[in-house]
Amino acid sequence: MEPESTDDVEPMDDFERELQAALARRPAPPDLKRKIVGRLWQQAGRSHRRMIWLERIAASLLLVAVAGAGVFWRHQEEQRRGEEAKQQVFTALRIANHALEQMNAQLAEHNQDGQ
Amino acid sequence: MKTAKHREGTLVLPWQPDFENLIDEHQSMVFSLALRMTGDRGLAEEIAQDVFLELNRHLNKIETPLHALLWLRRVAMSRSADALRRRRLRGISVEIDETHGAQAEERSSPLADRVERLLATVPEPQRAALILRYQEDLTPEEIAAALGAPLATVKSHLQRGLKLLRAKAAIHLKEYVRGA
Repeated sequence: MEPESTDDVEPMDDFERELQAALARRPAPPDLKRKIVGRLWQQAGRSHRRMIWLERIAASLLLVAVAGAGVFWRHQEEQRRGEEAKQQVFTALRIANHALEQMNAQLAEHNQDGQ
Repeated sequence: MKTAKHREGTLVLPWQPDFENLIDEHQSMVFSLALRMTGDRGLAEEIAQDVFLELNRHLNKIETPLHALLWLRRVAMSRSADALRRRRLRGISVEIDETHGAQAEERSSPLADRVERLLATVPEPQRAALILRYQEDLTPEEIAAALGAPLATVKSHLQRGLKLLRAKAAIHLKEYVRGA
């Protein structure tokens, strides 16, 4: 019968011992570590470049937002000043109208006195 | 634990993983697992690189040297299985040459080369169990943990794989194997 010593408590037979010897760990390629570290640096470089781009995009967006806010504020300010000027013109017209009405009334009174 | 602990009045500093030391220590294990699983030296090297890069991303979760070893073993086996699956999907089959393309100074004995060639013909789940059993000297329980498979399945894979390998060896390695 064939020995089947797969259980960890059973001792290995000759074939298993030879198999174990044949399957000893192989040395890794000598430049494996250098390649891994190289790829790590590459990834770090890519991530750094990505960060720089993100910062640039964020700065551009901030600039656009600030410029937009400036334009909006200026537009609002112009509107406010226009409204103010309009109110001032209306006030001046009201005052002039009032003065003309007074003059009209005085003239009418003066005409009545003359007759 | 990653935090410092006081034990009997002395400060025990936590273990700090050093990535380059971990590569030095485990590159042979990771590379050998990938090589024997895939039978392709180039692919094995690529898998080993990917496994260590993934380790670097998870370095803050590695708590002890043993944890690092178990993590690397598990991920190396899983990445190798993924690579084999991808290769099957693409319909690529790799003929395993006697030395897996190894450089002259790395070549093992003729028997080891032939055993590796025979091992490469064993079905993948059985091969995985055999590699962990005879390369890494793991118990079936440890293999089950490394592969995330039930213990009974692992034992069955070991028995069947060994039986198959023994039968193949009896035919192909008569001159080397006694009692096969």
